[in-house]
Amino acid sequence: MTLPASDEAPIGPVGSRIAVIGGGILGVRIARELLTPIAGGAIATGGVVLVTRRPDRAKVLSGSFGSSVAVFSDEHGTTELGAEVSTVVLAGAAGTQLDAARDNLRAGRHVVATSDDPDEVEAMLALGPDARASNRTFVIGAAMAPGLSCLLVSHAADLLDRVDEIHVARHGAAGPACARQRLRALRGTATDWRDGEWVERAGFSGRELCWFPDPIGARDCYRAALADPMLLVPEFEGVERVTARIAANRRDRALAPFPVLLPPPVEGGLGAVRVELRGEVGGERRTVVYGVLDRPAVAASATAAVTALRVAAGGCAPGATGLAGLGATRPILVELARRGVRAAVFEGAHASPLEVQVPVPEATVSTVTPEGEENR
Amino acid sequence: MRGLRRAVLAVGLALLVSVVVRFRDDATAPPPAAGGWRELQGPDLR
Repeated sequence: MTLPASDEAPIGPVGSRIAVIGGGILGVRIARELLTPIAGGAIATGGVVLVTRRPDRAKVLSGSFGSSVAVFSDEHGTTELGAEVSTVVLAGAAGTQLDAARDNLRAGRHVVATSDDPDEVEAMLALGPDARASNRTFVIGAAMAPGLSCLLVSHAADLLDRVDEIHVARHGAAGPACARQRLRALRGTATDWRDGEWVERAGFSGRELCWFPDPIGARDCYRAALADPMLLVPEFEGVERVTARIAANRRDRALAPFPVLLPPPVEGGLGAVRVELRGEVGGERRTVVYGVLDRPAVAASATAAVTALRVAAGGCAPGATGLAGLGATRPILVELARRGVRAAVFEGAHASPLEVQVPVPEATVSTVTPEGEENR
Repeated sequence: MRGLRRAVLAVGLALLVSVVVRFRDDATAPPPAAGGWRELQGPDLR
């Protein structure tokens, strides 16, 4: 499999403004990532707009960002972003992004959605004809998983002549909304791709021990209602099996039917994504395993921001796609590595272990502690 | 009657203990060796 020619272009300056809708942990971090200088030291965007639905939150964020970001409060979703905004990043809670995606595509903007809700992702994929008609790019699931996971799969697939199986596993959650979505996923119905058709399986079934980069190590992972397979299957013709799992423990499973009495933490701890591809190279069976270790909010925000910069620069094909189909895998991975989100390959027990690095840029450390339901 | 109460209490305690033990022991035990991850460097991303 070869990557498109546009794959080699670097992340360059954009000029136009980029709007972030959602002022939770993910939205704030995306705004900061958009303000992070690209290679060469320049700020890529012509400006960043941050929209939150809570007026009190908007005041706090205005004080935090100062003049570097235009912060708007928009309780009813009616704020006009203006013609100078070319690209919108949707960073609200999963399940709330579909209408905003449709409206902004109709307004002629590129859209980058971070939702990992499978029903919403399916509905977003159905907006592909709208995006193509308006000649705009709609990137779906640009977070950690899906998102970074799709990039890793795309890059790993480059090492194989033929991809037969793709298995994604993730550990951790970004913020409260992400933690709630994780629980919904585990309680829901998983949809796996098996021998050319979708197969529904119960959440919390199919326990499998998956190795993540240290210090997370081995975790039991279960099937869950995740969006990765529906974003990956269209990009790998002939793939036989695609599955996605979440790390969980027996306590999660036992308490799954009960309401969550204790609120999830403001921001989760260390997370990880692991992708395993099985296929053929030169007629021989081969397995490739890639992983990333980082705080989920950091990895997801960097992925969304770099994707938005790439899309806003133009040159991406119109239509709705996941990151595996964007045709910009390597430039995005290179820029993510420059920002501290580094991928690793599993080479077996005899290789030197990956030095654990949890990059936390200064700009993200000073993030105002988010509160409330918008956090993810 | 008192004997029945004691029996119920004993069964309840046994169930509680078994649940705790299952939580502690039922995770899949990974093999002791770990590591083997190598960070993707420049040539890997070209």
